[in-house]
Amino acid sequence: MKLLLTILIAVLARADDRVNADAQITADFTKRVADYQQLKKTLEDKQPRLKETGSEFTIQEHEHKLAKAIREARKNARPGDIFTPPISAEFRRLTGLAMVGNNTARIHKSLQDSEPVQMQLKVGDSYPAGVPEQSTPPTLLLNLPALPPGLEYRLLGPTLILLDTKANIVVDLMTNALR
Amino acid sequence: MRFAKYVLICATALTAADTGPLPLIPKSVRFAVIGDNGTGGKEQYDIGMQMEKLRETTAFDFVLMNGDDIYGGKSDSELKKKFDLPYATLLTAGVKFYATLGNHDNPNERFYKPFNMNEKRYYNFKNGNVEFFALDSTYMDGPQIDWLTTSLQGSTAAWKICFFHHPLYSDGKFHGPDLDLRTRLEPVFMKNGVNLVFTGHEHFYERLKPQNGIYYFIEGSSGELREHNLKQSPSVGKGFDTDRTFMVVEIAGDDLYFEAVSRTGDVVDSGKFARQTAVH
Repeated sequence: MKLLLTILIAVLARADDRVNADAQITADFTKRVADYQQLKKTLEDKQPRLKETGSEFTIQEHEHKLAKAIREARKNARPGDIFTPPISAEFRRLTGLAMVGNNTARIHKSLQDSEPVQMQLKVGDSYPAGVPEQSTPPTLLLNLPALPPGLEYRLLGPTLILLDTKANIVVDLMTNALR
Repeated sequence: MRFAKYVLICATALTAADTGPLPLIPKSVRFAVIGDNGTGGKEQYDIGMQMEKLRETTAFDFVLMNGDDIYGGKSDSELKKKFDLPYATLLTAGVKFYATLGNHDNPNERFYKPFNMNEKRYYNFKNGNVEFFALDSTYMDGPQIDWLTTSLQGSTAAWKICFFHHPLYSDGKFHGPDLDLRTRLEPVFMKNGVNLVFTGHEHFYERLKPQNGIYYFIEGSSGELREHNLKQSPSVGKGFDTDRTFMVVEIAGDDLYFEAVSRTGDVVDSGKFARQTAVH
């Protein structure tokens, strides 16, 4: 009986450690995203605020200027600055959790049917105009940490990119996000 | 169980009867529906002209856009060619266009004033006894699903209509239905009394037989066309995949009338639905 109790306590303690570790990784990701958002806000505040307009030129000019400013401010940015190895590992675990049972076939079918895009993008690249955006299956999105408005998870094949939609720029990317 | 009851009670109302021209009942809600339109090609202009022509008799007030509003480049001149000019007469007459984002759209199109998105990826608006919910199906994240659920629950409109790009049901050979999106959205629609859904993405017209008590239309051939892409299936109510189309809809009280019109002005489908009686 005493032995059983000891084993149970040990198992619970390990599970607890795991939860704490996962929470720390998610908190780290959230902080890195918040830091990026703060940087973007500082840069965007230097530009006229983008409001609804009848001029597509104004919209594109805002997008391009913001992207340029972000590129300059993050000129040393490298893949993995936000998707660090521990965060990437956690994301792979989370996408793995999403893809269980019937979900797996359904998610793969949704991805196949949504005009999958094969191209290489780097951190700081703009998402090319004219290339369709693959929809991100909701079941995956619901398993990943929430993002603030203006940032989105996008898939390029098995690569997950963190896309700033206002600047239309790749903030970070991680390979082999999906099994 | 609740869903089953809902479906059962709806079943009697879920038949589309051919009705001929729209009845044009005073004070009814009238609108057009287009999808996958923004090519800038001659066919898009032809559809624009047919819309103008039909507006002379039906006087529809606004247009729903099911996404892929602007294909390819998005400069000022491209937008002029792919949106402003094909619908110039309608825009000048004050017809409002309500856009949703397709997978070929840049999310920043939400700032383009003539799209009436109010800077939002997803939004709602009301007209008469109808409330419309424009969704961004390219990025259906948790906050959007929460917003939709809350907005539907708070809606007092008799008719609740959702429109977005990717179809939950489709008999297209090229794409087919988005099953993951269906898994997440359909329960929200069923639980909160959505009556009708318009989508695009597939480049043809399809009226599906009602699915779990909800009417579904695909209108994705107002510019693009994927000929002979509609397969034979028991779920097809009516399909048309040999030319471009748009729809005109009239809602009067508990009745909805619709017409799908081709680029040559032929009515390729028409009918009347009664509003489902939701049981919650």
